[in-house]
Amino acid sequence: MRRVWFFGLFMTVALAQQRNFVSCPIVRDTKTVPCFLAEYDGELYYLGIQQDITSEFHPPQLKHEVLVEGRIAAGPRICGGIPLQPVSISVVKEVNLACNTLLPAEPGIDAPPAPRGAGPSSRRVEGPSGPREPLTGQHEFTVLYAFNDDYLEFAANGVVSEAAAYAKRIGAKNVKVAGYRATSVLSNGNSLVEKAGLAEKRAQNIATLLGGLGVSNVAVESKAEAEAGDGQTDPSRRRVTILITP
Amino acid sequence: MRRLLLVCGIALTLSAQYQNNSKPTWIEPRSGETLPEFDAFDDVNGTLGVLNASGPMSTEGHPFFTPLGTNGRACVNCHQPAYGMSVSAVGLNERWRLTDGKDPVFAAFDGSNCPGLPQDQRSSHSLLLNRGLFRIPLSWPPKNADGSPKKVEFTIEVVRDPTGCNTSKDYGLKSADPTVSVYRRPRPTANLKYVVSGGRSIVLKTGMLADVDPETGNPVAMNLMTDAREPSLKTQALSAIMGHEQARVPPSPKQIEKIVEYESQVYVAQAAHIFGGPLVGPGSPAGLGVAALRDHRAGVLGDNDYDQVFGLFKEWKGNDYYRASVARGADIFMFRQFWLRDATHINSIGLGNPLKRTCATCHNSQMTGQDLSAGWVDVGTTNYPTWTEPGSLESSELPVFKITCARDADPHPYLGRVIYTTDPGRALISGRCSDVGSIVMQQLRGLAARAPYFANGSAKTLREAVDFYDRRFDMKLTDEEKEDLVNFLGAL
Repeated sequence: MRRVWFFGLFMTVALAQQRNFVSCPIVRDTKTVPCFLAEYDGELYYLGIQQDITSEFHPPQLKHEVLVEGRIAAGPRICGGIPLQPVSISVVKEVNLACNTLLPAEPGIDAPPAPRGAGPSSRRVEGPSGPREPLTGQHEFTVLYAFNDDYLEFAANGVVSEAAAYAKRIGAKNVKVAGYRATSVLSNGNSLVEKAGLAEKRAQNIATLLGGLGVSNVAVESKAEAEAGDGQTDPSRRRVTILITP
Repeated sequence: MRRLLLVCGIALTLSAQYQNNSKPTWIEPRSGETLPEFDAFDDVNGTLGVLNASGPMSTEGHPFFTPLGTNGRACVNCHQPAYGMSVSAVGLNERWRLTDGKDPVFAAFDGSNCPGLPQDQRSSHSLLLNRGLFRIPLSWPPKNADGSPKKVEFTIEVVRDPTGCNTSKDYGLKSADPTVSVYRRPRPTANLKYVVSGGRSIVLKTGMLADVDPETGNPVAMNLMTDAREPSLKTQALSAIMGHEQARVPPSPKQIEKIVEYESQVYVAQAAHIFGGPLVGPGSPAGLGVAALRDHRAGVLGDNDYDQVFGLFKEWKGNDYYRASVARGADIFMFRQFWLRDATHINSIGLGNPLKRTCATCHNSQMTGQDLSAGWVDVGTTNYPTWTEPGSLESSELPVFKITCARDADPHPYLGRVIYTTDPGRALISGRCSDVGSIVMQQLRGLAARAPYFANGSAKTLREAVDFYDRRFDMKLTDEEKEDLVNFLGAL
């Protein structure tokens, strides 16, 4: 009974720190790179800064609303907004011309240090980091997506390439691709469900990529129903898994 | 004083070497001439250099210089060394004057606005003469490799047809062989080791498989053509011969090989400036000139501050007026920040909209300034309202299409589900709504020899091209900055 009570308390606290909402992004220029923010329920939240294609954070876009799913992080405001970290960003596909706020740089509002500034890169291309423990045995790779999207972002692109390389290296007997779609629970209590057919489309796309990368015998399945959301871990369920068995 | 005279003397000697006003510049098919290892041609800025890296070459019987089809054209008609291995509107007008419009470059099939027009009239060739545009007839819907129709995400309607071709019962969208005619500039068949390098298995911009070279099975860069429809130099040559040359019989593999072999060793770059003299030699930036193109490694990212797209121009900072201007232009290209907004396949691939960056963010491939990844981007040249056409939909010289995207497709990221365009670009091949107006970016070498610019020939001068970007991205360039950029681009 006590365990149930603690779990309930934990969930309540966790949800209190969670902010899931759809709104227009706001871009705040600074003397370095721009900050991306969004407003919800009268409060301004900091999402991240402009970086490059290899970064984990992919900024939202003006002319589009954005689904923000993030947790309030400790620390001071950044660029005027309460920081959300981790944060998942999903650009709503339909154009919304009302989303057009670009604020000028102001003294005293600075972006956090950026690995790459707004000009050309200063970073030298690094060689591969130390030797990695080679994968062995059965292994599952997970490809994550933005909400209602089947576009393969840069990082996901790398996951598929790595999975293909592994399957070929071990001469995999079975490669099973499974696609899912999910539900996002918003902070206002509403839910957003990814569109029908998306799980199958995601899975088929990944299977096509694996085939093109030289992996044969790829079995494809997808779960037609959207998985339920919990308001905390929803981005992790928008996925395709690639199960590789030697 | 003696040193000054010596420097002037060397400059004059080098200038004289690059100036050769008397020789004909237009190579006719079957002319049989021998091309020297290094050749030089006057252009609006001074002198274009053309390097045959394999040495002097006889054109006698060579398939690039021999008509292989039925309309008298050879590859060279549209890919002239004197015009940076493309053709310029000025050169085409001169050709019209000299041949009274009979040169095969004006062939009815694609050298006129539409084959059904009276071919002896200049007005029937207005897009070629005014903008250097050839008609590109594309099957609609596009086809898969096995010939089956590709699934498309949008419908296409012709809402304005100044050439008459898209509504023609013989050549149009509703003809027996439904065809969309768009009008595009021929790309330079030079510096190609850069253009074909950088193929990756998965296209960064779409998350989909790259096309593969049918011969090797390797992924290709997809940077060769305006819409990336041909994967390799060989398939491009074959398609051009069957289409532009109207061949009834395919060329032999040996002929294709010889064409590709020739194209792969030609380098073009500006060699001298009309007032500034030679651009190459001691004390000049290492990225200029044809020898640099021959010697440099292909497939290198130059969007960085230590090994830049066209090298460093520090030697020219504080030099004479022209050289200092070129060096400032190089800095603007690399470092001048502005807001890149609403550009499909730049802002829409995870970089955010807007993106505060520089020209080199997109023009990032060393030595050519193409995009190192498959480079189709919609910067707004063909889509209303940012398009390059002056005024309204009704005043466009080019056909205007209305694209309506299906409800279940991803819309165009910044224009939504109804788009007016003069050229749907990559979307005519991919069938994807989000690709409408996306055009593969071009290399930036030998520009002074091959005006007009953009795939639709809308910018008559480099200044007009710079003005477009200034307007489109609200760059707020000063007149001096524009002049510097023009001088820089003209020196490439």
